[in-house]
Amino acid sequence: MSEHTATWANVYDVRPETEVPAESPLAWSCHHSGRPSVGAKSRVVLRERAMLGHLILRGGAIVLDEALRQVLGFGLPARPNSLSQDASGERSIQWLSPDEWLLIVPGGEEFELEKRLRTALGDAHYAIVNASGGQTLIELEGECARELLMKSTPYDVHPEAFPVGKGVTTVFAKANLILRRPTEERWELVLRRSFADYLYRWILDAGAEYAIGVEA
Amino acid sequence: MSQVNRLREGGRIDRARTLSFTFNGKQYQGHAGDTLASALLANGVDIVNRSFKYSRPRGIVAAGAEEPNALVQLGSTEAAQVPNVRATQQALFDGLTARSTNGWPNVQRDLMSLVGKLGGRFMPPGFYYKTFMAPASMWMTYEKYIRKGAGLGRSPMERDPDHYDHLNQHCDLLVIGAGPAGLAAALTAARGGARVILCDEQEELGGSLLDSRELLDHQPAARWAEQVLAELAGRDNVTLLPRTTANGYHDHHFVTLHERRTEHLGETAPWVDGHRPSRSRMHRVRAGQVLLATGAHERPLVYGNNDLPGNLLAGAVSTYVRRYGVVPGNKLVLSTTNDHAYRAALDWLDAGREVVAIVDARQAPDGELVAQARARGIRIITGSAVLEARGSTRVSGARVATIDAEAFTVTGQAETLACDTLASSGGYSPVIHLASHTGARPTWNDDILGFVPSLVKGVHAAGSARGIHDLAEGLADGSAAAVKALEALGRTAQTIELPQVDARREGAACALYQVPHEKPTLRGPKQFVDLQNDVTAAAIELATREGFESIEHVKRYTAMGFGTDQGKLGNINGMAIAARCLGKSIPEVGTTVFRPNYTPVTFGAIVGRHCRELFDPERYTALHQWHVEHGAEFEDVGQWKRPWYFPKTVGGKQESMHEAVARECLAVREAVGILDASTLGKIDIQGPDAREFLGRIYTNKWAKLEVGRARYGLMCKDDGMLMDDGTTSCLGENHFLMTTTTGGAAGVMEWLELWHQTEWPELDVTFTSVTDHWATMTVTGPEARKLLAEITDIDLDRDTFKFMDWREGKVAGVPARVFRISFTGELAFEINVQANYAMHVWKTLFEHGDKYGLTPYGTETMHVLRAEKGFIIAGQDTDGSVTPEDLGMQWAIGYDKPYSWIGKRALSRPDTRRVDRKQLVGLKPKDPTVVLEEGAQIVFDPDHAIPMPMVGHVTSSYYSPTLESGFALAVVKGGHRRMGETVYLPMVDGKTHAAEIVGTIFYDPKGERQHV
Repeated sequence: MSEHTATWANVYDVRPETEVPAESPLAWSCHHSGRPSVGAKSRVVLRERAMLGHLILRGGAIVLDEALRQVLGFGLPARPNSLSQDASGERSIQWLSPDEWLLIVPGGEEFELEKRLRTALGDAHYAIVNASGGQTLIELEGECARELLMKSTPYDVHPEAFPVGKGVTTVFAKANLILRRPTEERWELVLRRSFADYLYRWILDAGAEYAIGVEA
Repeated sequence: MSQVNRLREGGRIDRARTLSFTFNGKQYQGHAGDTLASALLANGVDIVNRSFKYSRPRGIVAAGAEEPNALVQLGSTEAAQVPNVRATQQALFDGLTARSTNGWPNVQRDLMSLVGKLGGRFMPPGFYYKTFMAPASMWMTYEKYIRKGAGLGRSPMERDPDHYDHLNQHCDLLVIGAGPAGLAAALTAARGGARVILCDEQEELGGSLLDSRELLDHQPAARWAEQVLAELAGRDNVTLLPRTTANGYHDHHFVTLHERRTEHLGETAPWVDGHRPSRSRMHRVRAGQVLLATGAHERPLVYGNNDLPGNLLAGAVSTYVRRYGVVPGNKLVLSTTNDHAYRAALDWLDAGREVVAIVDARQAPDGELVAQARARGIRIITGSAVLEARGSTRVSGARVATIDAEAFTVTGQAETLACDTLASSGGYSPVIHLASHTGARPTWNDDILGFVPSLVKGVHAAGSARGIHDLAEGLADGSAAAVKALEALGRTAQTIELPQVDARREGAACALYQVPHEKPTLRGPKQFVDLQNDVTAAAIELATREGFESIEHVKRYTAMGFGTDQGKLGNINGMAIAARCLGKSIPEVGTTVFRPNYTPVTFGAIVGRHCRELFDPERYTALHQWHVEHGAEFEDVGQWKRPWYFPKTVGGKQESMHEAVARECLAVREAVGILDASTLGKIDIQGPDAREFLGRIYTNKWAKLEVGRARYGLMCKDDGMLMDDGTTSCLGENHFLMTTTTGGAAGVMEWLELWHQTEWPELDVTFTSVTDHWATMTVTGPEARKLLAEITDIDLDRDTFKFMDWREGKVAGVPARVFRISFTGELAFEINVQANYAMHVWKTLFEHGDKYGLTPYGTETMHVLRAEKGFIIAGQDTDGSVTPEDLGMQWAIGYDKPYSWIGKRALSRPDTRRVDRKQLVGLKPKDPTVVLEEGAQIVFDPDHAIPMPMVGHVTSSYYSPTLESGFALAVVKGGHRRMGETVYLPMVDGKTHAAEIVGTIFYDPKGERQHV
């Protein structure tokens, strides 16, 4: 299991090989606060995309971009506060800071990907950190999704200021999260595990007037 | 009861919809479209309140936010109580219940008015201060009764059934005020493609156009407003916000707007699809540019008994007649200084009621409106003013005489005119409150006899808000201001084609504020300046006589413009009076500062949904559900909820905290316990220079830490004081995992980034928080190894997996890193797994743990156990003034490291080298049953005269079930050299405890137990 691919970093697969019960950061919240059902009147729909692979990439843009293109088939987003995705939309890279990106891939791909990236990066200065257990991604859709965001974040989410492909780290209620807009209709929020319950309760409360529903 | 003052037709009300409401326990009827004020006037209700200080009867004066008297308490139930609502701003709804804010037992017969009548002359400004200040200790008692007697409403005692929210808004241009200038500006900007927000505090957008006599494009002005609003509403770059008051102008064009979303529908928000929408909403607007089109407030004239019900602003008369179809009386006398107010008389006449006279302070008024009034046969008395109103509970007459305003004297014989309504107009004050919030001092403009706003960058004003009262000019000004604002944003826009306005020539106004009286101000009838705070002209005169020359002092001494009123009607008059008394001009006297909020805001709207369960984030670990289900009591550590202890129920009785902690402590010392340590900060550090960086940030050495090993480290600020501590493990040659205290995690992360980014950017190293990624479970106690061995493939042999080693392997089938780190002094394994799998691992441990007596423990037990071992907690045993040496941790300082490290230089200062610094020691109470108080002060000599020299304090103190004694950690001056000495702790209750200074390690001093 342990992979000392290079002696200088400790990289290993944190996922069990066998079937083991796993709980996403929202497991307790759904149990405790419930999941309001999605109905005809739901003007916002929330969907958790649990158990994805989240990797934090640190390093110089040029070398990372090259390695990503080679390994993943697409590279870093071209601008700050933006997002690049593969054709399926399943894999995305988001700019977080001048030398930091968040790579999200389907759950289970992250370890293999990390190893291949490390090989491709060779001696370059970089870091890759698996953060899959520390955060989860939720999607918001519906005609009132944007207004719900306006209740929660001081960031300007108007389409003029927040076009498709944009992504930012910002204040949301009294916590931080990553907010992004991969498609015209869909907003994605990346929540930190420990704040997830607070944010879930906030979103349900703010969404009550739009009959928010949560898809299982 | 019939609506005696309601006109048969006219106004913007819906006569087909009749609404019932209750005021002071009596039922009345009004119509949809009424405000509470217009409905009360329609019903002929004269007295709506008693005044704040003198308890004088008061009626409605204004028609908008500037109303000083008609403050009501809303709500038919306790939970629905809302204080200090202006009746002029409250839309009528069916079932509305309101009471006067003041008046006991009621406004008609008020007992407090006796105080006002008898004491009035004896209650000068500063009365309360002067009378009740001594003895100072009694002030709280006096105040309670004074407040009860005076009062400005009361807050509800039950939980509010409504909820409130915030909405963050962004726009290119925020237009405040939807009158002519605001509408023209919004339309200009909207057509230019800008993102526009247009807000207005009234029920309907349109401002003065809604009751104007003017024609725009040969049709009523309100029609033009409707057309503009229809176009604006159809544009998706425009947000229209009626019932929305811009209350605060903060830095960087951040403006808070308060929208009353359902206040016009009912006292609580009506249900919509099984949900109540928020009752009020605060819009937090971040605007590129802001345009103030806030209009102007009419100034009343200050004359005798100008507070009697039946005294109104001239403009308010027009508004009630034209907008609400209400004539608030039968016989009108108008006292004015300007042409504009003539509208009130014409409107009154149009309504079919009698205008007794227009009293004009000017010698020869000659504007078109004057001619119109003359042509309609109205008597115009020139060069004159109303000296005082006559009447007891309602105006019954007006004493009129010629005056010399310059000389402040009455020049003629007074004539008394019988009337029941007295309208006055002393001119128009631009509403400069919001501009004033930005810190810009307004400037006096002699042409308009008012202050106009000074504007900081990005703020614009248009129309009446900057003294342009003419309708045509105001419209043009609004459009031009919008173009200018957009240009400042780098956008282009065209002025709009303006509607045709029939030009009307107005004569010049004259300056009159306080009307002279035959008697001196101090002896004549009361002339009110600030009706809400009961400030009279005499009070201001007295204040200036007593030496208050600065207008800010006059304000504070008299309370003029205080509180919810914010000087809307009275401030300019008050300044003019002060100026007269001081022999200065108004601009020389200057103006006071207006503060947010412009009108009172309900606390709910300020709080939004940041209340109750959402007041503050609660951070949970991956194991939270288990803790809840097993009855944990929680402790707040930062925003984290950590299990504090796990009380058991034995024989139907729940353990006390003391019992639970004793049981948990013994379980760890004798069997095995488990702690959820997931909240500890964890930082993944990678890079070829990671090791070098650690050497500079920690006080101790990191050069030789091998892969597979962990080390405890101390972190100092550059002043040499301990900042945080924790263990850091070497995961790979260039890869480390740092742990921090729970509360210090974010601060340490920032600290690392700060030094890396600003001082040592050449080091190749990165830091990434992995606190939430890993869940950490500490299994500790003599049986820990046996338990863990059952579910792991890691070789736990004491010789191959030594203390301060870490290994990776599987625990309960889940990949894990296991660290032999001990914060209890016992054999301990800290198991780290990816958080999503933590619950499975935790539960598996309990499946195997029963036979070993596995006991969950919380932070309290953790504290006791670590203190028994003398392990410090940064932030509890240290307070930013404690060095590692003070803690006796010389062993963790690498003075000889080749590269300097943070804090090193500070530790060689003479002050940090002093031997009598407060140093960490153990304290053993002489009486083992005593648990010293944390924070208790320590003295060497309990018999010393007070004040005794204090030489230290207790930092941590507990009862140890293992030692069967209380024990403590403390800092004591020169403590390290005082082992065995006795110190004393005098307590609040008079007892003095004695304790012996001992080493900090109370249990297993050789540390053998953690090495087994």
